[in-house]
Amino acid sequence: MRDPQTAPPRLHMVFAGLGLGFLAIFSWVFLREQGAEWRSLQARFRGVQTTVKNPHQLAEAAGAQGLRQVWLADLGRVDRCATCHLGIDDPAFASASAPFRTHPGTWLATHPVERFGCTACHDGQGEATDYEHAAHQPIPHVERAMRPLETIEANCGSCHRSLDPPDAPRLAAGRRLIVESGCVSCHDIPGFERMRFRGPALDSLGYKVRAEWVQAWLKDPKAYLPSSRMGNFRLSQAEITALQALLLSQKAQAPLDAAVDWKKADTVAGRALFGELRCVSCHAVGGRGGTMGPELTRIGDKVRREWLFSFLKDPHREQPDTAMLQYRLKDEEVRDLTAFLLDEYKTGGAEAETVLASYQDPRAVQDGQTVFVRHGCYGCHRLAGLSETGKIGPSLAGVADRDPDQLPYGRNVVRRTTDNYIFLKLLLPDALGTPSLMPTLGFTPVQAATITVALAGLRKADLPASRVVKVTPPDPYRPQGRFGEIATRYRCLSCHRIGGTGGDLSTVPLDRIGSQLQSDYLVRYLLNPGAVRVSVEARMPVFHMPPEEARTIADYAAATFLDDDLDRYDARFTPAEARRGEQLYRQLGCVGCHQMDMQGGYVGPDLSNTGTRLRPGWTAAWLTAPERYKPGTLQPDYGLTAADARALTAYLTTLGAHGAAPPAGGPAGGQ
Amino acid sequence: MGETAKDRAGRWLAAAGRSLWRIGWPRTDKDRAAVMISSLFLHLHPARVSRHSLRASYTLGLGLVSLILFGVLTVTGLALMLYYFPYPAEAYRSMKDLQFVVTFGVVLRNMHRWSAHAMVFVVFLHMCRVFWTGSYKPPREFNWVVGVGLLLVTLALSFTGYLLPWDQLAFWAITVGTNIAAYAPLVGDRLKFLLLAGHVIGPMTLLRFYVLHCVFLPLAAALLVSFHVWRVRKDGLSGAPEVPSVVEETAGTFPASSKTYGLMALTRRPSASVEARDPRDEVFAWPHLLYVEVLVFLGVVILLHVASLLFMAPLEEMADPTRTPNPAKAPWYFLGLQELVHYSAFVGGVLVPTLVVVALVALPYVDRRPHGVGRWFAPERRLANTVFTVLVVVATLLTIVGTFFRGPNWAWTWPW
Repeated sequence: MRDPQTAPPRLHMVFAGLGLGFLAIFSWVFLREQGAEWRSLQARFRGVQTTVKNPHQLAEAAGAQGLRQVWLADLGRVDRCATCHLGIDDPAFASASAPFRTHPGTWLATHPVERFGCTACHDGQGEATDYEHAAHQPIPHVERAMRPLETIEANCGSCHRSLDPPDAPRLAAGRRLIVESGCVSCHDIPGFERMRFRGPALDSLGYKVRAEWVQAWLKDPKAYLPSSRMGNFRLSQAEITALQALLLSQKAQAPLDAAVDWKKADTVAGRALFGELRCVSCHAVGGRGGTMGPELTRIGDKVRREWLFSFLKDPHREQPDTAMLQYRLKDEEVRDLTAFLLDEYKTGGAEAETVLASYQDPRAVQDGQTVFVRHGCYGCHRLAGLSETGKIGPSLAGVADRDPDQLPYGRNVVRRTTDNYIFLKLLLPDALGTPSLMPTLGFTPVQAATITVALAGLRKADLPASRVVKVTPPDPYRPQGRFGEIATRYRCLSCHRIGGTGGDLSTVPLDRIGSQLQSDYLVRYLLNPGAVRVSVEARMPVFHMPPEEARTIADYAAATFLDDDLDRYDARFTPAEARRGEQLYRQLGCVGCHQMDMQGGYVGPDLSNTGTRLRPGWTAAWLTAPERYKPGTLQPDYGLTAADARALTAYLTTLGAHGAAPPAGGPAGGQ
Repeated sequence: MGETAKDRAGRWLAAAGRSLWRIGWPRTDKDRAAVMISSLFLHLHPARVSRHSLRASYTLGLGLVSLILFGVLTVTGLALMLYYFPYPAEAYRSMKDLQFVVTFGVVLRNMHRWSAHAMVFVVFLHMCRVFWTGSYKPPREFNWVVGVGLLLVTLALSFTGYLLPWDQLAFWAITVGTNIAAYAPLVGDRLKFLLLAGHVIGPMTLLRFYVLHCVFLPLAAALLVSFHVWRVRKDGLSGAPEVPSVVEETAGTFPASSKTYGLMALTRRPSASVEARDPRDEVFAWPHLLYVEVLVFLGVVILLHVASLLFMAPLEEMADPTRTPNPAKAPWYFLGLQELVHYSAFVGGVLVPTLVVVALVALPYVDRRPHGVGRWFAPERRLANTVFTVLVVVATLLTIVGTFFRGPNWAWTWPW
């Protein structure tokens, strides 16, 4: 047994086995390193046949060896995607197979890989060098797997902070929806700090609306008005009753007490006024019309007669923020219009209003205040005595980085991603987790998905300033002085743009209107606006404006809204030029679209009185480059030479110029 | 005539070889003893060992495996240091680099991780073995105490290393671990502050843990390990059958000129190794002991590689102090304590750890009866073994419950 010379043979076998095992395991380690996914992919890439047999590019491909990475120091990112996506910025690989194919589109031209890497836009784990860990699909412990292309615009939003980012239609649509839906009334949202969303003031609601309407409205605003921006707050009957009491007790400002004899009201005259004032430019009836003001289809079910009269007589008295202009109407006209609206646009009969005792009850009013504050109504509606106490909803800063596992999903079985949570919250605010105060805004799934895209770029950690693309909007233009008063009264900026500020209902920005129109014509037009184009019914409303106000506007425009390029035009035409212009007018077939002396097409404006309407510099500029002044216009760009444009202008300037009686308009003719 | 160039080269090579390896391949018993004594690394072994202590079923090789793991951890740890920045986000990025771009980085990190876990486990088993075989009894009392110190250093090494990846797992495990430390009366908060270099985990904590993990604790461990092994050498491997008679050294098998022998001759009383020696029951350490050691080393390294190739070391999201996982768990070897803390912070955080350490240190000085040494579960030690076994089972159960049966809010959860 005792043999000190050697170890037992049994151990030799163990030794041999372990030695072989040792070799095997080391070989395994080496083979594993050598057989890394990216190495075999690069080997495949070297064999790729590119469409372009450019020797330089082929050499490039042949030389693809080793890890490739983009290091973005300011973002703290290392992207090694190019280790496998070897042809990503080389157009020669446009038709190569999956990992080697050229990046589609022109995105890499504007976002070169060496400055932006890949994960800044696509997410995923840039450090990884194999398919799985790069998080092409979600994997555990990687916070951001690659974004699917449907929602990738969310990442555009991380850098592009303007309301209307370029080349990202879904993001832009989502941001617009956020503004239009009034999200900012309840939530602080980075990038939307300057936005305000206001519902109507409620201070005098007791005078304004009928009690039944308040009840129905609070129950479901969209039932009364499908286009309502107010969401359904899912109020209980008790809450509705309390709020109703509070709202109907609001009587801060009594309606204008005009001794109106309602018996004399003439709804036929009211209907005529309704057309003349172009109410439908802003208010829809029966689903047709503008969207700037509230739809009037069921106005008769909603408001009280005295209030409507008062409002139409002086809208700014009650709602200083309203976009509605103030017409200069006589009391009888207002009365007729009121009677027409209430009579025409209602569903029920004119039954007597049920008088609720509850809204006299101070306890009910008190309860109503509690409900008003609890639901954050003050976010959108001003109500005296209930001051704003901050925004009721949580801030959405960094919402995209909320931990999906800690979001309150309740017991609902849903795919737990942050995106999905935002989407469901928008769609069904009450279906997730704890009871929510957020109203059901009636978004369609598409709208909810669009808003999700806009919110999913709100990261917690902010980017270095050099990465942020932000267009700060200019300070809004605010007219001053006497012109300012008039422009405010008639709400010019509700429809027209000046300096980028204003509405887009009108196609005519006013920035250079003084260089475009002759002053006298402008006065006449303001006093009696007609459609400039024969085929288009839309026009400015008749303001019933006093002549001196029209003159003030015209003078202000002639002194302020100018374009030197147009004004410097030498308007001393020779008769020869005018004659050649007339020939050109016929040669170019202008008559196909434009009326002149009751002859011609209906697409463009009537040119009969161009000589008294337009300033020559403008006419010439317009003829030379119509697209420059009005993108998308139907006016063809004939590529006229300066001489031809001048000849045409000379001809048009003669039209209606000499002794032509100004169109019916009255006092302005005296100028 | 004269010698050929080949002879000269041979002579030169032989001389050069002797400068490194004085004895050559040992062919006689004298050489077999001399080879162990003349090498710095081998002389920690005795020249001859008892057959009994060589039996795998006696020691299970647990001490040796611990030492091998410590060696593996030192080597892999030094390699990892080449890629590691002890600063929060950079630290995490180092982990990603190791995983994705460093050659052999994955295996390196996995091996360090699994070796660390294995070492905690094996060191604990080693302690159990020593208890169950009664090997802490005189003259080995103090070496047991050193062993307890090594167990604590091992835990500290593993704990400090746990934070270094700077992921969620690391951050919250250390948060929970240091919170347990904070339950200590009077000094608890100061202790926590000292550990964290602040009130919460931050860059300073990471730096502190890094320096502890890479400098202080390894040095302490190396020192204690050397001492531990040296004492084993001096006290002899336990487990030789208790032979009442003192047997003289067998002349001729031990080189008379040996310095070691000379020193041993100076000791007042015969050392234990001499006491227990029975020449008929001994074999030379070369090759018997060395051979087995090499085999164990190969086996351990192979197993570690297999584990490292098959199982990835965990790495979660980057540490985020604002995002608390539920439940936040300490490293697994503290989960028994965390389970106790769940019932009572004082018991789990203070009482039990203190009692355990005190009891372990005091054990060899309390239980001094020299019976039942060198055998597993000796009947003379039934009481001691029963008490210890119960404690080990309870600790194991608590750890298993804490690891697998505790879910959000530390509520009972089935692991399947």
